Amino acid sequence: MRLRWIILTLLLLACLFAGAYRLSRPASPVPPPLTTAQALAGDTVGYARALVVRPFRFPEDHGPHPDFKTEWWYFTGNVETAEGRHFGYELTLFRIAVAPPGTGDGRASAWATRQVYMGHFALTDVEGRHFYPFERFSRGAVGLAGAQAAPFRVWLEDWTVAEAPGGLPALQLRAATDDVGIDLHLRPLKPVVLQGDRGLDRKGAGAGNASYYYSLTRLETHGTVRLGGEDHAVRGLSWMDREWSTSALDGNQVGWDWFALQLSDGRDLMFYRLRERSGRAAPFSHGVVVDPDGTTRPLGPEAVALTVGDHWQSPRGAARYPSRWRLRVPSEGLDLDLAPLLADQELPGVVRYWEGAVRVTGQAVDGYGYVEMTGYGDNPALPVPE
Amino acid sequence: MMKGLLGRAGRRYLRQHPWLLGLSVLGVALGVAVVVGIDLANGSARRAFERSAETVTGRATHQIIGATGRGLDEALYGRLRREWGVREAAPVVEGYVTGADGRPFQVLGVDPFAEAPFRPYVARGLDPGAFMARPGTVLMAASAAARRGLAPGDTFAVRAEGVRHTLTVAGLLTTDGAPDAEALSGLLVADVGTAQELLGRVGRLSRIDLRVPGGPAGEALLARLTAALPGGVTVARSATRTRTVAQMSRAFEVNLTALSLLALVVGMFLIYNTMTFSVVQRRPLIGRLRALGVTRREVFFMVLGEALLIGGAGTVVGGLLGLVLGNGLVHLVTRTINDLYYVVTVRQLVLTPVILLKGIGLGVGATVLAALAPAREATAAPAAAVLQRSQEESRMRRRAPALALTGLGLGALGAASLAWAGQGLVQSYLALFAVLMAFALLTPAAVVGMARGLTPVMGRAFGLPGRMAARGLTAALSRTGVAVAALMIALAATIGVGVMVDSFRQTVSVWLGYALQADVYVQPPSLVVRQGDAWLRPEVVRRLIQTPGVAAAYSVRRVTVAAPDGPAQLVAIDAGPRTAAAFRFKQGKPAAAWAAFDDGSTVLVSEPYAFRHHLDVGDTLRLQSDRGLRAFVVRGVYYDYASDQGVVLMSRATYERYYDDRERSGLALYAEPGVEVPVLVERLRARVAGLQSVFIRSNRALRDASLEVFDRTFTVTVVLRLLAVLVAFVGVMSALMALQLEQARTVAVLRANGMTPGQVGGLVTLQTGLMGLVAGVLSMPLGLALAFLLIHVINRRSFGWTMQMDLSPGVPAQALLLALVAALLAGLYPAWRMARAHPARALREP
Repeated sequence: MRLRWIILTLLLLACLFAGAYRLSRPASPVPPPLTTAQALAGDTVGYARALVVRPFRFPEDHGPHPDFKTEWWYFTGNVETAEGRHFGYELTLFRIAVAPPGTGDGRASAWATRQVYMGHFALTDVEGRHFYPFERFSRGAVGLAGAQAAPFRVWLEDWTVAEAPGGLPALQLRAATDDVGIDLHLRPLKPVVLQGDRGLDRKGAGAGNASYYYSLTRLETHGTVRLGGEDHAVRGLSWMDREWSTSALDGNQVGWDWFALQLSDGRDLMFYRLRERSGRAAPFSHGVVVDPDGTTRPLGPEAVALTVGDHWQSPRGAARYPSRWRLRVPSEGLDLDLAPLLADQELPGVVRYWEGAVRVTGQAVDGYGYVEMTGYGDNPALPVPE
Repeated sequence: MMKGLLGRAGRRYLRQHPWLLGLSVLGVALGVAVVVGIDLANGSARRAFERSAETVTGRATHQIIGATGRGLDEALYGRLRREWGVREAAPVVEGYVTGADGRPFQVLGVDPFAEAPFRPYVARGLDPGAFMARPGTVLMAASAAARRGLAPGDTFAVRAEGVRHTLTVAGLLTTDGAPDAEALSGLLVADVGTAQELLGRVGRLSRIDLRVPGGPAGEALLARLTAALPGGVTVARSATRTRTVAQMSRAFEVNLTALSLLALVVGMFLIYNTMTFSVVQRRPLIGRLRALGVTRREVFFMVLGEALLIGGAGTVVGGLLGLVLGNGLVHLVTRTINDLYYVVTVRQLVLTPVILLKGIGLGVGATVLAALAPAREATAAPAAAVLQRSQEESRMRRRAPALALTGLGLGALGAASLAWAGQGLVQSYLALFAVLMAFALLTPAAVVGMARGLTPVMGRAFGLPGRMAARGLTAALSRTGVAVAALMIALAATIGVGVMVDSFRQTVSVWLGYALQADVYVQPPSLVVRQGDAWLRPEVVRRLIQTPGVAAAYSVRRVTVAAPDGPAQLVAIDAGPRTAAAFRFKQGKPAAAWAAFDDGSTVLVSEPYAFRHHLDVGDTLRLQSDRGLRAFVVRGVYYDYASDQGVVLMSRATYERYYDDRERSGLALYAEPGVEVPVLVERLRARVAGLQSVFIRSNRALRDASLEVFDRTFTVTVVLRLLAVLVAFVGVMSALMALQLEQARTVAVLRANGMTPGQVGGLVTLQTGLMGLVAGVLSMPLGLALAFLLIHVINRRSFGWTMQMDLSPGVPAQALLLALVAALLAGLYPAWRMARAHPARALREP
């Protein structure tokens, strides 16, 4: 009887305190989500636009154009060891203005900036059948990231693209993570190619839906690729694309397929196809052929016939990419089969896209190249328009 | 069947004496409430600090810190990433600003691109354009924004060290991934650049957070960093840094806890009193039960069970009261922590299972402990005998000398352990409680002695009732003794703490009198009154110094510096002609020390600093400087009551030699002859209006402000003291109610013999007054002993301060008055009841 009372009292005690304890716990919160990719896309009001043909001056135009919303220094290449071990690499440094020119001018802190740099570095190890993609961000301030024309240098922390010790036009590329790295010396074998109309490359019907775009389509490359603690001496060819713009794609364009091919006969071929929501190619798709001596011939949308041979389903999301192409350019006598050196060369960063090394096979020529495909997956397009 | 009978007997007894039950429960409840309340307040403050520390530390394992609280050169971060390839590193600029409502916000300045490994909650929901490019943009917790009626895009005003800023809400912080939603609500997350501008820290970082892997890779990284980092820049473990800060307030918390236990001790006397009384009252019943075959064991557990019931009920009520009390106390506690140690805002009481268990354990445990003796007493009754209570009382009287001897022994033990306990604060308190118990044990003997001495006096003064009152005290010693002891302990605590606070205040007041030599003092507002690295903007300094009427100006720089044994507060001063007068030395020769003051290696340390770091004159101490770790010679130990952490004092010249900091935390200005100080103060204020709202105060005003902070610090103490007295009051009342029950027959006989109700009331009042007097008189020596212990032992071991014991007659006089009033008040109701009791009925009842 008494025991029951005691137990009852203790139980009551426990209940009361348990209740008080629970009440004193914080309530669960409700978070509103917003992705970095969304945030990066932003508004284009207040930025400079690519409206008219302009003269290009070097090395100034190797440097940044901060009044435009986006800009990139884009390097891809196919290199091999003396034993024939093949690697593909991509090193791209993006500059993204996150606020229009004039924002925050005159602020005291050196950290205040409207420039953000994004870096993509990827290595394709064909023999090891492995793709190593990396992504980095940093602000373009306090020495963390930046770009300058003279001496030419673009860097994102310790990933750098800079003029080689002997000076321009040779370049030095350095990028490394814990177990993958490149240190490559690049020397252009052809002059600068101004894309589109003397470097003004129209992507859409709207005024200013264009970029300033030039390329170095063939860069003799040598250096080292580091993989798993081992340095491999390599040689091969690289390709550089330089582009800056504020807005490019029209509203009904969802993405693009871009091809940069280096052929064994010394010709280089660039072609991109803008895809519309309906699935058809936009009329602004075009490209260029560069002869061994640097002579260029533009390719209109009708000059190139593209057919998709196969598809690859990304294991990371809904994206389903074309994975084999037949590219025909009758005017150039080209009928090429493009096969990825590795099926999975998808970069799974904040912006998801496929960018990979391909083997080119034709009747009279062969070679290597890089293909970029955007707008296939859950991320409708690069936030940085092309 | 027998068990049921026993239970019914117990319950029936308690039901017949509801007031006895009620007062006992109240006594336990108050004791438990105070303990739980203080625990809750302390615990919540600690938890709030830990949570906000966790929130801003995130998952950092290490931090790169500068030599001083000014932090690091921001360029170091870029080098870390570019040249040393450290990937998991994040720059942090932190500080505090005050909102329009006067509440502080912690500002966390971060680089969103570096945050993912550390504080993933930061990078989410971010518009980098607004965040990095636009000035004054911050993120705040959704709950905090809602509370202030703010939405993204809205602006609000804050002050940072007196400089006004308008901030824009750039976005709301989401809470998933944050360690604690509550801790987030006091946080403003800004870009590193914004935070630098807001806090006036352009070019500096507060620290760089690191994630260093365990194992050889991590050790290699640390070794590489240590070798590469510039002088004075070190790598510390994050957890250690947080702990060091939390440690600062430890002594303060221990002292509060000890004071809260005092209330419980007084409550224990109350339980003991009640249980003893109930056992004594029921001796005949127990005797009869035993004769019926109830075993000793069963009787023992009946009494314990009853005690448990009272303890349980008291704990429930006390726990709930404690929640209410904690709610009030937490503000007092955090106020003090904010004044003295670090910024902490408690938005929520944190009731941990530990606090609950402690409350339950103490409430129920103390009750059972207090009931053990009465329970044994009850079982001692021989089965056949129905003992007279008078025999019990005489036994108590006989035992009084033995108790007194035990008390003396315990007291000696306590004193010995105090001398022997070294530096331990907890041991000191244990010893203090031993002394307390010793005095309690001495009480019965003292009551007997005093009653005997007072009987003729009372007889002469009040006649028969007087003599009866005095004798009654001895006659009912088993209850009066305990009640008097409880009251005495509460009173002694009041005296002890009161004398200690008075002495402390007097000491501080004297110190302020000579430490403040200049006419006008200028300080930037700092959230922590006695800490922090706040500084005067250079333009403010320039204008103030050049104000007409200022004869001379001396600056002071207060800054936290890293040292091998944790951060130290460094004070650098320009020594003027009157500086020496502002310092009094405990050790060292002032003339020699001041002569060597500018030699580049001399420092003086304040008394608490010397105490904490075991430093004597001639010893060296090492501090991180912008030139690396440097050793300084201690040339003097001076009295200082501004910081219980202690400070290291060096000359401005020495400071500038070792530190690249040219800022100033305060100015001491002397007025030209003939310039009225109030006029000068007004002129100075006008000179800097709109630049930085700094405190410009006359000598006198600063003195008053300092004493105000002092008084604020001891508010909690005053509250706790009052609560202990309240418990004692309940004790006295309960004892008197019990006495009244006891004496019902006696009173009836007296009434039957012609005593008027008024005379009965008078008798009871005399008796209670006498109890109060005895308790009051006895509490004097104990109170003074406690004061002595608090000042010379507890305080020294907590803070290392020397205080002059200040014996104003006020405190003991107050205590005596309090004793009399408490006893008389407590006696009012019993006196009224006794006087009203119907003599015939009382005589009829057995």
